Amino acid sequence: MATTVAPAPTRVPRQRPPGSRLKLRNTFIGWTFILPNFIGFAVLTLVPVVILFYMAFTSWNVFGSADWVGLENFRDLISDRTFHTALLNTGYYALLHIPLTLAVSLGLALLLNTKLRGVAFFRTVAFFPYITSIVAIAVVWNMLFSPESGPVNQFLMALGIDNPPGWTTSTTWAMPAVALVSTWRDMGYYMLLFLAGLQAIPGELYEAARVDGANKIQRFWNVTIPSLRPTTFFVTVMLTIGSFKVFDLILVMTDGGPGTATLVLSQYIYRKGFEEQQFGYASAVAIVLFLICITVTVVQFLVNKRRNR
Amino acid sequence: MATLTLDRPTAATPRPERDARKRRSIIGTIVLYVVLIGAAAVIMLPFFWMVTSSLKTNNQVFTVPIQWFPDPVVWSNYVDIWAKSDMSTWLRNTLILSVAVTFLQVFTGSFAAYGFSKMRFPGRDVLFLAYIGTIAVPWQAYMIPQFILMSKFGLSNTLWAIIALQAFGAFGVFLMKQYYDSIPEELSEAARIDGLSEYSIWRRIVLPLSGPAVATLTLLTFVNTWNDYLGPLIYLRDRDLWTIQIGLKTFVSQYNAEYALIMTGSVLSVLPIAIIFMLGQRYFVQGIATAGLKG
Amino acid sequence: MKRTIMMSAAAVAAATLVLAGCSSGTDNDSGGDGEVTGEVTITLAGWSLSTTPEFQILADAFHEQNPNITVEVLEYDATEYDTQMIADLAAGTAPDMYVQKNLKNFVTYQDGGQLLDVSSVAAELGDDVDGVEAYTVDDVTYAIPYRQDAWYLYYNKDLFDAAGVAHPDGSWTWDDYATAAEDLAAGLSAAGSDATGTYQHGWQSVVQGFANAQADGADLLSGEWEYLVPYYERAVALQDAGAQVDFGTLTTNSLTYQSQFGTQLAAMMPMGSWYVATLLAQQASGEADTFNWGFAPAPQLDDSTTEEPVTFADPTGIGINPAVDDDVAAAAMEFLTFVGSEEAASALAEIGITPAITNDVVTETFFGIEGVPTDELSQFTFANHDVRPENPVDVNTVVLQNILGDAHTAIMSGSVSPADGIAEAMDRAAAELG
Repeated sequence: MATTVAPAPTRVPRQRPPGSRLKLRNTFIGWTFILPNFIGFAVLTLVPVVILFYMAFTSWNVFGSADWVGLENFRDLISDRTFHTALLNTGYYALLHIPLTLAVSLGLALLLNTKLRGVAFFRTVAFFPYITSIVAIAVVWNMLFSPESGPVNQFLMALGIDNPPGWTTSTTWAMPAVALVSTWRDMGYYMLLFLAGLQAIPGELYEAARVDGANKIQRFWNVTIPSLRPTTFFVTVMLTIGSFKVFDLILVMTDGGPGTATLVLSQYIYRKGFEEQQFGYASAVAIVLFLICITVTVVQFLVNKRRNR
Repeated sequence: MATLTLDRPTAATPRPERDARKRRSIIGTIVLYVVLIGAAAVIMLPFFWMVTSSLKTNNQVFTVPIQWFPDPVVWSNYVDIWAKSDMSTWLRNTLILSVAVTFLQVFTGSFAAYGFSKMRFPGRDVLFLAYIGTIAVPWQAYMIPQFILMSKFGLSNTLWAIIALQAFGAFGVFLMKQYYDSIPEELSEAARIDGLSEYSIWRRIVLPLSGPAVATLTLLTFVNTWNDYLGPLIYLRDRDLWTIQIGLKTFVSQYNAEYALIMTGSVLSVLPIAIIFMLGQRYFVQGIATAGLKG
Repeated sequence: MKRTIMMSAAAVAAATLVLAGCSSGTDNDSGGDGEVTGEVTITLAGWSLSTTPEFQILADAFHEQNPNITVEVLEYDATEYDTQMIADLAAGTAPDMYVQKNLKNFVTYQDGGQLLDVSSVAAELGDDVDGVEAYTVDDVTYAIPYRQDAWYLYYNKDLFDAAGVAHPDGSWTWDDYATAAEDLAAGLSAAGSDATGTYQHGWQSVVQGFANAQADGADLLSGEWEYLVPYYERAVALQDAGAQVDFGTLTTNSLTYQSQFGTQLAAMMPMGSWYVATLLAQQASGEADTFNWGFAPAPQLDDSTTEEPVTFADPTGIGINPAVDDDVAAAAMEFLTFVGSEEAASALAEIGITPAITNDVVTETFFGIEGVPTDELSQFTFANHDVRPENPVDVNTVVLQNILGDAHTAIMSGSVSPADGIAEAMDRAAAELG
């Protein structure tokens, strides 16, 4: 059965005669692959995004002309306390949400990547939070977290905790509560991505490790984790960007409150743009958000690339 | 089953020990099921509330303490929603959009991903970063420029707007590229030596190997298009073009929201996705890389 | 190479944008004084048409008077109305006329040059039309109000009787109201009912709207908000005393005011005049209980304003898109003239809406609706009040309201004391106003 075991996927440099014609041909073929998607992407997404970059340097208010103001929007950001709050809140959320979701979704994927009876059912259940109406999610979780009558606190009090947290009604606990709910909501989504990644690992690698006498834990660290690297990279990048862009769940759960305890950058962009009509300023905030995400992504990209070598 | 394990070198353990292990594994399986079923119940709680709320009258939906079981059970919401709304039109539109978007996204995404993963040409990585970069920009920030652009093309207020908006996203390209990266390079290299063109390699080798990734992308794109709310809201104004998510919002008026009907509609809109998921998830079972290497 | 392509693409697109902005910006002040000849169809943006019939009623009543002009109502989303409208106006795809749904966003459209000057229509309106000044900037009027809500105090007569508390007499101050709420809570629990004394919904308006309208020297735009503190202290005291559902319970259980008052879970409720129509509809459909109720003037700061109680609410008006052609503008002007007329007001009053005109004819129409409480106090409340706009028209209004909104949730959830919460909000306001 295992006679055609392939070696671990290591990159073998391609042996091709060097030549500019070949390089040109390769570039051409490469572009033909990318083009069908790229045309739509460039016109409908890239162009508006580039416009946004331009607008960040203007006083654009959506109607009428956009006057160039140079770096003024960015200078204002430096002294904008609400922006600082939103930035810190977003970072705090990401810090809570990313590791938790990563661990839970990978755990779920490993658990449900078996031939267990009824695994289809449990996978569907794990994915359900992602497709449940967000209004229902907000309502039920808020109710579960209700400080007086909520089941969560009743349970905590039964355990002997006298002063359980106020969750979404407390400035200290609102963010952890929201991060918890969003992990619950996203776990099925990322589980799915991990499941796909786990399928790509050749069974022969496990077989070989077993022959070498590796136990379950060793196989996990020496086979699963390294082979899963492209997926993990994808999941971490998407999760990071998703966490920094978090919007709708916070909107329906706490609307940034109490006070500004859960105000996040995306929400601030919406407030500044659509409510306060400072689209130029909102664009500047969006660029800050973009820069954070892209920095983290590039770092992950480089780390990932180095490990692959 | 036992004969199969005997072939393996690790299976050389004495019998009594194996019986004990077997018993332990049965207990383990039972514990696992109990834990899984318990977790499933907790996870489904909000969905359960959705269903019970759809069986209540409006003013019973929000109460202190929460009412888990409707009393009396109001079935009429499931009748009313068809009469009070254009539910069938909304479902049809949503279905058209989801299918079209999913098809385009999966096709162009997996095609472009091949270029990014298996081809080498200058500027590839920078272009790829540009793709990821746009994911990092919040949509509400460039929504207006995009809307103006789409209106100039005459696309707004047509279903094409949503197709154009969703079908060429960077997400699919990124996902497929990462999956292709984990397919051993030797496979395509061998095919190249056999004289296959790049297009044939994609079509005959790489794509058939990426079943789980295609399944994932299909599911996620379908779900996201199905549940998208803000995009259709901005672009689709005619009643005949509405999707189910905007349609549900018509039960929210300025001074009163008909939550019972909203939940009824939500339940109805989740069901098709749940079924598709149940069917689609079976693509996540076999190790495909093995099958590919043998062939 | 790619970079240059991207750059030029961006430049082209940016140019398109700027051009689009210019073309919609320069096309204003087009006539509209001429007579309308021939058949014209004009479009009007509304929302939730099946549950908000007011737009269609205005359109139909107008069409009856002017058979050559048809008003077509287009449906927008109730909660994302302004987002949709901003996008449409920016892209040049907006309807001919649009409702100013939220007064606090009016300045966006006015300042952005997206509303036609309708001063000529305003000049012909009767003196009894409320809310015109809210749409007037530098002596130019940009929209004509058709409805003017006002906040009242709703009360459940049956629950008051059960608790043995005297009904409101029209002279209540906030202290009287607080005392009554506590008496009601005690009386109701003695009578075996678990209804609360009062229900104040979670919106910032419930506290701040009254304070901004009533308090001495209150000025939202000043950023000096000490006057809010006593109003907040009262609101917090009410929930501490158990006379009102506390804010945490209210938000975490997503309570709706319709069910709190409509299913007799609270004996009183300060709420806007729109709720009269909602409650009647819910009682008819069986969603709300049937009970004896009435509405009284909102509690006052002191008894000096009993004769004409001070309350608040924003008017709702209609404006014209400046991008329309002359004949459409002329037809739209005629529609706006109708909107500010007594006929329009009566047509709206028939379905329980509080129109911008409240004279005797309109009052009579309103109280002719089946189920509306016709006691003297309710009639007095409907006809007599000094209603102040909740949102002054200013570019800073939304910014300041957002800051106050944050303060509201912080204070009501008990995260900060009223004094500290307001002080923090004033700091933020000072930084924003620079």
